[in-house]
Amino acid sequence: MALEDAPKVDILPFDEEEAYDHDRPISSLIRTQLLHLHTMENLVLPLEQRTDININDLHTERLASEYIHKVTDLLHRHGRTSRQKAAAGAKSKPKKKLVKKALKKPAKKAATKAPGKPKPVAKKRASRR
Amino acid sequence: MSQGLENLKHIVVLMMENRSFDHMLGGLKKKYPKINGLDGNESNPDIHGNAVKVSPNAAYRGQLSHDPDHHFPGVDLQIFGGAAPSPRRVPNMQGFVKSYATQGTGDRGSHAIMAYFPPERIPALTTLATEYAVFNGWFSSIPGPTICNRAFAHYGTSFGNVDMNLFLFPASGKAKIPSIYERMKNEGHTAKLYYYDKPSSTMEIVNLVRDESFFATYDQFAADCKSGNLPEYSFVEPNYSDHPGAGGGQLLATDQHPDHHVLAGDRFIATTYNHIRRNPDLWKSTALLIVYDEHGGLYDHVEPPACTPDGFVASSAATGIPGLDFKFDRLGIRVPAVLVSPYIAKGTVVPGTEDPAKQRIFEHASIPATVTKKFLVNGDTGTPREQSAETFLDLLGDTMRPDKDCVLFNL
Repeated sequence: MALEDAPKVDILPFDEEEAYDHDRPISSLIRTQLLHLHTMENLVLPLEQRTDININDLHTERLASEYIHKVTDLLHRHGRTSRQKAAAGAKSKPKKKLVKKALKKPAKKAATKAPGKPKPVAKKRASRR
Repeated sequence: MSQGLENLKHIVVLMMENRSFDHMLGGLKKKYPKINGLDGNESNPDIHGNAVKVSPNAAYRGQLSHDPDHHFPGVDLQIFGGAAPSPRRVPNMQGFVKSYATQGTGDRGSHAIMAYFPPERIPALTTLATEYAVFNGWFSSIPGPTICNRAFAHYGTSFGNVDMNLFLFPASGKAKIPSIYERMKNEGHTAKLYYYDKPSSTMEIVNLVRDESFFATYDQFAADCKSGNLPEYSFVEPNYSDHPGAGGGQLLATDQHPDHHVLAGDRFIATTYNHIRRNPDLWKSTALLIVYDEHGGLYDHVEPPACTPDGFVASSAATGIPGLDFKFDRLGIRVPAVLVSPYIAKGTVVPGTEDPAKQRIFEHASIPATVTKKFLVNGDTGTPREQSAETFLDLLGDTMRPDKDCVLFNL
């Protein structure tokens, strides 16, 4: 096997047990991540899906990572649902439009007109900080 | 077009956290004089005016427990040594120790900012830097923190932000610039952002959450490398925190952000490289860029050059420096950047500002610019900064190096 020909390079071992510290105070980077995910919770998720966790109580990497895990999961789930709804809307909306137009306009014209582009699903936008 | 470029099907970017070029790679100059690292005599004044020399005593952990300042005002002090804003001031890289001393480190503690790693202490990064191509002139995009710098890798701009604001909506009057993932998808190409796991997540979920298809975890990256299903463009993020694993055990942060263990990150670099290296088809058709988002407040001796403004202006209220409106016309501090491909000649050093005749200046906008140049037809969607950014795939030549010439890490 050709890979066997590759020169091998050792990386350095270290004491992982000693290196691990999930009680380490969070950095400003993780603090920022918490703030942004918390904002996203409030902007994007329906009230009943929000975690109700006070991010000001999360001072360690372990606590922060638990919150980040939960909200990442929720945001992904929300993203999937939104896409499915958008896809479903794209299929059904043109029919509704046609029905409406058929009621308003002469039957011949409504039947020949191509269905319009589905209206995009309303998106919530974050304002700039 | 070179054979290497013709065969290229995948670009992978691994972006680490918060270490400067000199801190990680500066020690290579002793053995490889073309690498623009440290002579050993570089210094900064401390708060008493005494010169503090660089020293090869960087610690893996515990030396930078006060996270060195890398926000806009702190970096301005590091670059200009404390000179007040004026069109005439020039960078001198003399404010690093002073800056760190303001963070409660104490006088002696502030000297740690001048520490660097001897090459043998971080073997994965330094091996790849010397086996493939290292950039003497890759700078962070903004003299500021993580988020705005990472934004340049995803969008080619930070939309006027110089801080940690992640909601990257354009300033009024500016059109939204799609991320490189959206641009790829719009033209029928594949792109993915692989974050480590859900407890670590990714900052970009905030902006790209509406499209699930852009996201996957690092486990999936490993599987995609093995099965040969890697997308055309992949952006890999390290683990940002120490946290328990899903099935038990302990997962170490691998981002190398101070004060995370540097060897955990070095192993992550080696692991990512090995995932690509072990699949022969992937190996010959992939370019892997390893780059750091910004310098993390750590010393580097090269003055950041001026650059093409990206059309935005950050007011003095945003920069935090009275009298300084930032026009995005100067790059941030230099960071380690290494390009890996079997089509790159061993020991390639891409010249930077130390060689004005041959210099090539890269920054994070070079990432979307390169991906665009390789894969996309509509290349005019980026900011002026992205459109003027250097691209790096010309480093791939015609000759593929044999297996016996391309390393594999023992993991």
